[in-house]
Amino acid sequence: MGASLIDYFTDAVLRGPTIGSMLMCLAASLIGVIIFLRKQSLLGEALSHAAYPGVIIGVICAGLILEDDVNDAATAIFILLGAFCTALLGLVAINWLERGFKIRTDSALCFALSVFFGIGLTLASDVQFSFPALYRQAQSYLYGQASTMMDVHIIIYGALAIVVILTTLLLGKELQTITFNRDFAKSIGMKVSAIDAIIFILTALSVVIGIRSVGVVLMSAMLIAPAAAARQYTNNFHIMLLLAGLFGVISGFFGNYISVELSQYLAIRYPGSRLAMPTGPTIVLVASSICFLSLLFAPGRGLLLRLMRVTYFRHRCIRENILKTLWRFDQDFDRDKNIPFEHILQYQSVSRLYLHCILLSLIREGWLGKSQSNVYRLTSDGRKKASQIVRLHRLWEVYLADYVGIGAERVHHNAEEMEHIITPELERELTRLLKDPQVDPHRQRIPPMNANMDGI
Amino acid sequence: MNAPHPPSQPSALRIRQLSVNYDKNPVLWDISLEVPAGKLVGIIGPNGAGKSTLIKAILGLVTPISGKVEFFNKPLKEVRLRVAYVPQRESVDWDFPITVRDLVLMGRYGRIGLFNWPRQADREAAERCLEMVDMLPYANRQISQLSGGQQQRTFIARALLQEADIYFMDEPFAGIDLATEAIIMDILRQLKSKGKTVFIVHHDLNTVEEYFDWVIMLNMHLVACGSVLQAFNPDTLNAAYGKSYALFDEALKLSQQKSSGII
Repeated sequence: MGASLIDYFTDAVLRGPTIGSMLMCLAASLIGVIIFLRKQSLLGEALSHAAYPGVIIGVICAGLILEDDVNDAATAIFILLGAFCTALLGLVAINWLERGFKIRTDSALCFALSVFFGIGLTLASDVQFSFPALYRQAQSYLYGQASTMMDVHIIIYGALAIVVILTTLLLGKELQTITFNRDFAKSIGMKVSAIDAIIFILTALSVVIGIRSVGVVLMSAMLIAPAAAARQYTNNFHIMLLLAGLFGVISGFFGNYISVELSQYLAIRYPGSRLAMPTGPTIVLVASSICFLSLLFAPGRGLLLRLMRVTYFRHRCIRENILKTLWRFDQDFDRDKNIPFEHILQYQSVSRLYLHCILLSLIREGWLGKSQSNVYRLTSDGRKKASQIVRLHRLWEVYLADYVGIGAERVHHNAEEMEHIITPELERELTRLLKDPQVDPHRQRIPPMNANMDGI
Repeated sequence: MNAPHPPSQPSALRIRQLSVNYDKNPVLWDISLEVPAGKLVGIIGPNGAGKSTLIKAILGLVTPISGKVEFFNKPLKEVRLRVAYVPQRESVDWDFPITVRDLVLMGRYGRIGLFNWPRQADREAAERCLEMVDMLPYANRQISQLSGGQQQRTFIARALLQEADIYFMDEPFAGIDLATEAIIMDILRQLKSKGKTVFIVHHDLNTVEEYFDWVIMLNMHLVACGSVLQAFNPDTLNAAYGKSYALFDEALKLSQQKSSGII
């Protein structure tokens, strides 16, 4: 143990996988944003699976052509070429299925994916016995083998990343327009087919080169997960590209870091069981975790945060309803009447425990006072707040009944909702529009605006 | 059926024998017409008459099987910058990450060209267009948070930024509020007063006489093309919407199915 963070960038064994993966993930996540926004997320999956038979064919060709001269670098070139060819073939097949046979996109993608992958697996089982040494290299493309990457891979991935970054920079507005509004893009003369072709080729390149480190099965995650995560934080196309690239690079680095550290730890802790954390899946796990956390916690769109806001809002509604209940007791009976707990419970549909807690917090905030145990009354501040809510409720009822034409017997339910939502600006607008009405559709008095009250 | 135009200036749009035959899209059959410049043109017809297809075929978004289209006596590729297109609202992905301001800025992309970025002058022009459609307060809003009328106004602002001479709008009045409709009509009248020509696919027959001064009536073939006074009358309406021509539609559909081998 004990490789420091810097070692991951300098050590001869560690830097190939680390920097290579980071660059590969950068390129994949940038292209992934475009694929994601074009709603073609399954395309990465189809392409990586279509590349697999090409890997095997490349292996067979390497074995046949190189014979005794076979070495890793040459085989790698054959494999990459083969993978790229079958990936493009897969694209052609998908297009042909869609255009010629009128098959829907998702069906065409799944069909191509399974057929090509099946062919690849069949060929692989054949290679297993005819070229056993090469077979191992071919299999490593199924799940990726980042740990054996060398400096030459850094150069290859660096070049790819530069090409992708340049494309998104130079063609940024074209990509944006074509994805958002294809017809408009055509109408202003953008070369839509050419740019489509560029996107497909770059996707195929990123996928084919990426399967070396992450593998055929998991490659599509590296295209989509950073993009999906980035979408949660921004509404700006260019910032989305930036964030996706950042998430990709982080996944590449920490995938390597965690896999190395954890494998060493497990080797020391459980020496006999030969546990290890392969790099490829770890990179994907990091990327997926970032995506998952973004879906839950992103400010604004995050699911958990939205749930919290909804829960808080409902809580606020219940508190305001309790104040209203007490206020009505005030009005119907004499002022300063103390209301016992049971009375309040009758008008709310919450549990006793919850009601006790709410009443305590209302007291703490100064809206309520407690005269004896379990008997409550409104403070003067509480009275003003409650009458304000009732005012909004009754103003809204007048608006619905007089302006929208809803019958008086149906306005109450909607007003129960709106009384918690109407802002001070809306209230001023309503007062002005309705000419400061004094009674609601049920002939009840509308309390005056708080600003006009003179200390009841 | 075709109204003559003053021979002094070239027509804004001239179509000769345009036919479109697509498996899913409605058929257009031998359309020939001419429209002079400076008119507000309503394209009307029943559902499935090929109104959107006509615009798409004119702009080259759909390939016709025959026909020739000219703008001011020139083919489309010579005058692209003088033609603006406002597509149907449903044809767009409103969840795309883009703000109102950036959407309007797209109107300049045709002029800016490949590999260039919008400049300060482009951005200020976009601001002025936003102001014209009363969308400046919403400039930084994500487009998925807009109402239908606001979306339509943003689209129109984009078209205005293109500073074209001919505008094609596909159902701009569908599903919008009255205030937006009034704003859009106001802008259209301003465009006409500057000599621009605007083609609008329209669905509400009641407002044709009020909004337009020229009309193209379609029902897969051309029923009428001329000024509203001449071409918009009970006879032509009956020809476009009436039952007596239903036989023609049925025959066309049969022909379409036969040629794709379905029957």
